[in-house]
Amino acid sequence: MLKRFKRFILRLFGKKPEIRLGIYGPPNTGKTTLANRICLDFTGEELGTVSEVPHETREVQKKERVVIEHNGKRMTINLLDMPGISTKVDYKEFMKFGMKKKDAMLRSKEATRGIVEAIKWLDNVDACLVVFDSTKNPYTQVNVTILGNLEAKGIPIIVVANKIDLKGAEPEKIRDAFPQYHFVEISAKEGKNVDKLYKEIIEKLG
Amino acid sequence: MARKKEKKKGVKIEFLSRSILEGKSFDEKLDFIMEKVKSDVILVLEEGLTPEEKKKLIERSVSEIDDNFPGIEFSGFNSNPGIFEKILSVLTGQERKEGLVIVGSSKIMEKVGEEKDMISLLAKME
Repeated sequence: MLKRFKRFILRLFGKKPEIRLGIYGPPNTGKTTLANRICLDFTGEELGTVSEVPHETREVQKKERVVIEHNGKRMTINLLDMPGISTKVDYKEFMKFGMKKKDAMLRSKEATRGIVEAIKWLDNVDACLVVFDSTKNPYTQVNVTILGNLEAKGIPIIVVANKIDLKGAEPEKIRDAFPQYHFVEISAKEGKNVDKLYKEIIEKLG
Repeated sequence: MARKKEKKKGVKIEFLSRSILEGKSFDEKLDFIMEKVKSDVILVLEEGLTPEEKKKLIERSVSEIDDNFPGIEFSGFNSNPGIFEKILSVLTGQERKEGLVIVGSSKIMEKVGEEKDMISLLAKME
């Protein structure tokens, strides 16, 4: 409530507030790929590394004062790429990707810390992109929990259906599962529809 | 000769009515749930969970992950309160949580599918 009032006062005096924009979602939905796309488009450098092994992002990655532009409109965001949230982390899963047991167990420990950190940040973001993999079932308890908590706090959300470049992508399933939220379907990897996303961020989250 | 009691193989499922957890704080409920789940019991709770409670359940279970406990699977039907129920919960300060929650260790429970009105689970027997 206080944050909203502060933003209202800033707007009243013609100042645009900076927004802490969190990128949330389960592991491997393309959150860091999207964060990299945004950072590359507006700052010229990437934010984090991506990998097919789940839980590549195990700490919150931050990029401050990213100025997003679309059709002459601007908005300054502090971008927060969150570790993927899941209810389980099994080190044996990492070993399937050729990782040694010791490394897999360390990754598992770091991943659990990252999940807890991401959950704690839910109270401290001003707006969110919740990223889904369009080839997967959207109706999971992790997704319902993320969206439910953000909604309960009145934090504006855009549901982002990512990976529409993949065969079998069904972004309409995501839109139909959560029709109450702003929705954009994109391919962060190929850059498809990211302009639409920037427009939505400025118009709906600013 | 006395027969040696054979340990039965299988997955234990406990169905808990709303009244069992009634009167407990959510932290106490979490203690109860985690103790059962870590003993490889699948719990079916009559009462649903709020988004805040689900967040706490994920946070708590992930914090307890170690070499023997890989985390949880949970599913449930979510209530969609109407405007009257929302006003009533604001006025009374009590949120009535309709729905159903199924929670278990991911070691023994695998979610196969989940829709708004259908859940399918696989109990793993090693």
